[in-house]
Amino acid sequence: MSNFLSTSITGLLAFQRAIDATSHNIANVGTPGYSRQRVELVTRPSQGFGNGWVGQGVNVATTRRLYDDMVSNQVRVASSSFSHLDTYSTLMNRVNNLFSNTTTGLTPSLQKFANALQDVANNPTNSSARQVLISEANGLADRLRSYDAQLAQTGQQIEAQITGEVSEITTLTQGIAKLNDEIAAAYARTHQPPNDLLDQRDMLLDNLSAHLDISTVQQPDGQINVFTGSGQPLVVGKEASAVVTTTDPFDPTRHNVALRGPGGALSDITRTISGGSLGGAIAFRSEVLDPTRNELGRISVALTETINAQHRSGIDLSGAMGTDLFRVGGVETLGASSNTGTGLPTVLRTDTEALTTDDYVLQNTGTGWVLRNAATGAQVPMTGSGTNADPFLVNGLSIEVPAGSQTGDRYMIRPTRAATTGLDVLISDPSRIAAAAPFRTSASATNTGTGTISAGRVVDASDPNALRSTSTITFVDATTYTISGVTGTFTYTPGQPFVVNGAEVSISGAPAAGDTFTISDNTGGTGDNRNALALADSLSRGVIENGTTSLNQATSRLVGQVGSVTRQAQASRDAQEIVHKEAADTRDAISGVNLDEEAANLIKYQQAYQAAAQMIRVASSLFDTLLAATSRG
Amino acid sequence: MRISTAGFHGAALAQIMAKSTALAKTQNQIASGSRIITPADDPIGAAQALEIDRALAESKQHERNTIAATNRLSFEEQALTDAGSLLQRVRDLAVAANNPTLDDAARRSIMSEVQVRLQDLVDIANRRDTNGEYLFSGYSTMTRPFAVNGTAVTYNGDEGTRVLQTGPSQRVTDGHAGSYVFMQIKQGNGTFVTGAAGTNTGGGTIDGGSVVNMTAWTPDNYTIEFTSPTTYRVLDGTATEIATGTYSQGGSIAFNGIEVRIDGTPETNDVFTVSPSGTEDMFTTVNNMLASLQRSSDSTAQNALFATEMGNTIAQIDNAMERLRDIRSEVGARLSVLSDAVDTQADRQLDLKTQLSQIRDLDYAEAITTLNIQLAGLQAAQQSYAKISGLNLFNYL
Repeated sequence: MSNFLSTSITGLLAFQRAIDATSHNIANVGTPGYSRQRVELVTRPSQGFGNGWVGQGVNVATTRRLYDDMVSNQVRVASSSFSHLDTYSTLMNRVNNLFSNTTTGLTPSLQKFANALQDVANNPTNSSARQVLISEANGLADRLRSYDAQLAQTGQQIEAQITGEVSEITTLTQGIAKLNDEIAAAYARTHQPPNDLLDQRDMLLDNLSAHLDISTVQQPDGQINVFTGSGQPLVVGKEASAVVTTTDPFDPTRHNVALRGPGGALSDITRTISGGSLGGAIAFRSEVLDPTRNELGRISVALTETINAQHRSGIDLSGAMGTDLFRVGGVETLGASSNTGTGLPTVLRTDTEALTTDDYVLQNTGTGWVLRNAATGAQVPMTGSGTNADPFLVNGLSIEVPAGSQTGDRYMIRPTRAATTGLDVLISDPSRIAAAAPFRTSASATNTGTGTISAGRVVDASDPNALRSTSTITFVDATTYTISGVTGTFTYTPGQPFVVNGAEVSISGAPAAGDTFTISDNTGGTGDNRNALALADSLSRGVIENGTTSLNQATSRLVGQVGSVTRQAQASRDAQEIVHKEAADTRDAISGVNLDEEAANLIKYQQAYQAAAQMIRVASSLFDTLLAATSRG
Repeated sequence: MRISTAGFHGAALAQIMAKSTALAKTQNQIASGSRIITPADDPIGAAQALEIDRALAESKQHERNTIAATNRLSFEEQALTDAGSLLQRVRDLAVAANNPTLDDAARRSIMSEVQVRLQDLVDIANRRDTNGEYLFSGYSTMTRPFAVNGTAVTYNGDEGTRVLQTGPSQRVTDGHAGSYVFMQIKQGNGTFVTGAAGTNTGGGTIDGGSVVNMTAWTPDNYTIEFTSPTTYRVLDGTATEIATGTYSQGGSIAFNGIEVRIDGTPETNDVFTVSPSGTEDMFTTVNNMLASLQRSSDSTAQNALFATEMGNTIAQIDNAMERLRDIRSEVGARLSVLSDAVDTQADRQLDLKTQLSQIRDLDYAEAITTLNIQLAGLQAAQQSYAKISGLNLFNYL
């Protein structure tokens, strides 16, 4: 009798515990990161008698949470990937939206500038056409600067984001370390899994994986060690490594991410972070933001160099040679904060066609100089020796190394990054626009032959005095001519261009002996529009990427590239979202609370409890019966 | 596979949010009428659309350039027409003046009209267009091209001609240099010019002459000297005699591949010249006519000289009018090219707009159908969620 009494009591206690677990599940149906808990019931050891083993009731072995480590790991990996792509895609969209307006974009602004040049070509003496040209030039410069400013602002937001992420990661790792401590203590005390603490730690690990990619190693004492995806330790037992931001050695406005080891030493982990929103922001910064700003800079440089060179080949209304129309920012060189030497390299852009959108790091190895691509670290070959007389020549740059440099010194070279911020229009006086060519050609009125001379164009404006001096081409006979100031005679080929003092002309037809043609100064030729037409032409000439891309093409290509990368980022993100969702669904299937299920369990355990309670009543009445049977009277 | 309560709600909500987002995007497309809202919607299409927009803007600019060129060429054409009519009038006056029976009074009235006409010609040559630029000054469009210095007119412009861009690869010249139009006109018959010496005493006149054999012609200053009223000899520039002959009235004198005709009654020692053609400007021609008219014409010799000079003047005016006609037909050809360019530009713009529409414009029928489908989908998701989320075992306990 006492047997089945105690057996039913075990039942009561067990079912009470089961109902506790069920009500805990129901209460936490909406708690994120909660894994449903089940009470594990085992039979008590039975007692052996001569006529059989008798069961002793039920015991609660443990309250276990339903949780699969492997599935959780999968979820974290998918979450890292997804966060990375999501952050990347969101940032990419910002740049994408920047270029979405089709009427105020770069291409329309460039065309307005070209149209203003044509209007000046139609009527070079008209002051208002010239004024409009200056306004359009300013408008174009404004548009480029505004894009650059907005990209710079996005850059600042990314820096803030990186800083925020890093402090968030540090908080999470500290929380994980603390939980590690508590969990180990809880295990040691009760030898039972502290389910809610485990759930909390898993939540923290999930959050951490959304920030950067991690891997975990379970320890026998219940603690979990956390490493970055590339193996650096973030949490070891109760100790959390601090993740901090450091300023970039070259650029104080940029942040890098470093791990502070136990001894206080910092190791830079910026390049090794590959997943999570932190990885996404860092990847975006180096893969999209920097190259896009550099490309804008390259467009600004090409615009300035091309237009200025052509403008300097013409003359303005007063007859003076044209001066620069645009000004553009120079090459940015930065020394590393760890440099021991003094001075910075002198870097000039010498060949616009060969410029790239990469940044470079120049290093003094002690035995020589090495140039590397700043983003990939790949070495870039240079020619030359780096001195003033023989500078290093590479990708459109000429580099002269600083005299005070020491071994190990490094310098960051950004050829086009700062170009757009320094873009400006230098001419404000409409009469200073050089629409005319500096020379004109004429055939003598006394010529007897049928020769004609072309209007000519400037091919070399480096010596304006020679260009604008008078030269006479005299035909000795029908097939030979001389040029004043030049020794020797030349054979006449009809239509073949030749250069005199930087002016290219050609003679056609049949000149007779004694015929002369003159190249002379064009001061007073204010209605001449040759240089204005040449300026308009230069916008569709190949000036970037070794002469294969014109300014018009470069601006529309930039928009196309931005759109295409954005689309790809969106597609990758959407695909990864599905993977993540499926992994999360699988985990949820194992660990999630289903109210219907809990309701059914509730009924089950309630009935079991009632049955067990009923058993006690039966035991009690049996005892009463026994008492009644053994009492007298 | 079991599903948790939180999971069910989360999934349903995610679906509804996704459908709402898609719906919002379709609505945005319909409101803006464009299929491409940001470059990511269609990167290739976005880049193409940008390029087409640019080409359209460029074509509109070519329209403006064409109008500017047409205006200037029309002004030039008008000036050339006016100059041509003026020269015709002067020619008529020269023909009238060449009548030996004209008296001094008539001659003086012809002279005063020719003076007025000369001034008119200078004014026409100095005309400006609506922008204030001179038509015939070459590149120096703010410099007045023709200046009168006594009886000579000098050209102060240059030889330049301006071109305007009227198509992606088409350029049209918008004028002619004044030197070509008014100044450099070939003298005589283009190869040589004849004249009579002022010292002649006889009544002989010489015509303009013609070239018979171009290869035999040697340019030089020839003189035809009359050794007697019936014999002549031809001397070249070095005074070497190269031909002699007998003179008959109206007969031709041929030498070195050319022939000239002398008429009338030359006296001994009368000299006629044959020189290579240079160029003469039309103002000089008219001035020469005035000089001839101013001389008194009483003696036979003076009459003969006057007749020769008038003959040369008329021939030279013919040369000038021919030059004006040639230039006018060039201008006409250019205006015709420009008018074709206008059509080409209109066609090109239509073409570009069609291409742009195909790339960028929204197909409304398709979009509205999509909108309706998305609306129905969203409604279904919302309603089914509401229904299913109400089902709970706890409702029945």
